[in-house]
Amino acid sequence: MNVTAPLIEVEKLEAWYGRRRILNGVDFAVNPGEIRVIMGGSGSGKSTLLRHLLGLHKPRSGTVRLLGVDIARASERQMLDVRRQIGVSFQGGALLTSLSVGDNVALPLREHTNLDEATIRIMSRLKLEVVNLGGFQDLMPAQLSGGMIKRTALARAIAMDPKLLFFDEPSAGLDPVVSAELDELILRLRDALRMTIVVVTHELESAFKIADTITVLDQGDILMTGTVDAVRHSDNERIQDLLNRRPREIQVDADAYLKRLTEEAA
Amino acid sequence: MTSLTRPLESLGRATIGSLAGMGYAAVLLGESLYFSVAGWRIGQPLRPRAVAEQMRQIGVDALPIVVLLALTIGIMLGIQFIAALSAFGAQSQVVVAVAKSVTREFGALITAILVAGRSGSALAARIGSMSVSQEVDALATMGIEPVRYLAAPALLAMLVMLPALTIFADAVAIGGAALYSSPALNITPSAYVMQTLSLLEPGDVWQGIAKSAVFAVLITLIGVSTGFSVAGGAEGVGRATTRAVVLSICWIIVVDMIFSYFLNR
Amino acid sequence: MSDSENACISEDLGGYVLVRVCGEVDLSWSQQVRDAILAALGNSGVGVELARVTYIDSSGIAALVEGFQRARSSGRRYGLIAASRQVLAVLQLARLDKVFPMFADVEAARAT
Repeated sequence: MNVTAPLIEVEKLEAWYGRRRILNGVDFAVNPGEIRVIMGGSGSGKSTLLRHLLGLHKPRSGTVRLLGVDIARASERQMLDVRRQIGVSFQGGALLTSLSVGDNVALPLREHTNLDEATIRIMSRLKLEVVNLGGFQDLMPAQLSGGMIKRTALARAIAMDPKLLFFDEPSAGLDPVVSAELDELILRLRDALRMTIVVVTHELESAFKIADTITVLDQGDILMTGTVDAVRHSDNERIQDLLNRRPREIQVDADAYLKRLTEEAA
Repeated sequence: MTSLTRPLESLGRATIGSLAGMGYAAVLLGESLYFSVAGWRIGQPLRPRAVAEQMRQIGVDALPIVVLLALTIGIMLGIQFIAALSAFGAQSQVVVAVAKSVTREFGALITAILVAGRSGSALAARIGSMSVSQEVDALATMGIEPVRYLAAPALLAMLVMLPALTIFADAVAIGGAALYSSPALNITPSAYVMQTLSLLEPGDVWQGIAKSAVFAVLITLIGVSTGFSVAGGAEGVGRATTRAVVLSICWIIVVDMIFSYFLNR
Repeated sequence: MSDSENACISEDLGGYVLVRVCGEVDLSWSQQVRDAILAALGNSGVGVELARVTYIDSSGIAALVEGFQRARSSGRRYGLIAASRQVLAVLQLARLDKVFPMFADVEAARAT
């Protein structure tokens, strides 16, 4: 087996939302053991890219391969095997509100393994310990603060010891201390459990702290993929705009502008 | 020109929209049945516990209100039939009129409308808010098929509980009619019930049960499909809930009419 | 690569059982490790040697935890011996390195 085969391979991925093109033929690859940060402003297409990487959308054009499996052609069995090895922590947590914290974390184990209930209990509480929520297993999601929800979501994402972990906006809406703790945790997870981690974020500070490599996405195009230093020192104007929080120059096309303002069905 | 094509266009859009909705509901039905029967073979087993929980919510929890409504309907039918039939001096026909109309029609209809209001809306609200908060996505990425986890248990539970509730409602409604009409007919309530049992044919009861099974599928599919297609945050959930109830009740009444026509020709 | 083959061998040292675990402990066979540890705890103290474990997932850790819990409730000796760097990293992640009795070798573990 080739040890360095990428865990994620995306080729010429295009995505459309109605008649609008969101991704313009994106190429993207993530190697084992890497922490990759996908960065970009809102409307850059990073959420759409993430949904494709998670297999929530099948690509209309181009291919997405996760752990070597082409998700557009995979059978249900293959897809299930892939998903068992993937953990996802959603932006808003997406905890099942009808289940307690402990049951949320144990859910993937209960659904996908035949482990002894005692083992499942220990494993899920262990994951809560890892995210510093030891002893909180009996609370309901509605009783948790924003930071606790994020950490529970992370605990559930790593419940099955996934090879590949996706983390959508880890620091959005959190205070700086909690978000720094989460960054620290992401680094430790990679080191201890050998996870490959993909983080989608627009927080520069956190991106620079955790990333091995950064992919910068802008208006459906990948501007560059490179190490933290390479991105920092890139001479691409848009990247520097993003880094320095400069508002972007908007090119004005007089004809198109007028058309947008006046035409009935634009 | 546009003033002519606009209404046509929106009519076309609405038609396509509702056709797409029906198509989606059909897919959901197929998938739910598939997961119920063969889910365990592809690692997506239907959990008996989830089905039992749904059965409790849909069936057991609805018992008090079903009893209340069925009793009321029974008494109401007793009042109407006695009034209408005594005009022809045909009071003796009250028993058979109540028995047939309850078992063939009212038991199933009232129960279905009630369950549509209680559980169809609850399904739409639950699944809708789960879609909005990405819980449905989370299930999918965890390798738990949302249709298997959320829709299939509800469908099975509904298919068991709605007919069961219907039979129950039949019995209570006839009991209610017996309580009201037996003094007017100069017989004891138990004699009324005995007479009902001797007049009823199995076909009458089966007609109601068959309808209620169809209603069960309708309520679940409409609730689940509106829930899964929610967009637009909390407001969207509210709209979907209302839509699920209104659509379910409309479909129930229309389908009931069609069934009655074909079954009583 | 016989060195990293998955294996779990119990060795009776007389009143003390040494459970040697090798390879990558994951979901596919961690129940075996659990069974071996719990079986060994039936009549003696247990040391779990983890020197040649190259990877351990949380189901493996759960087996170690369950063994420790069982040993405590029945008053038997229990310890992790020569945990490899990889094992240590996972234990530290959950701060379990401060919970388990950890020993450098069998002698030290038996001496307790």
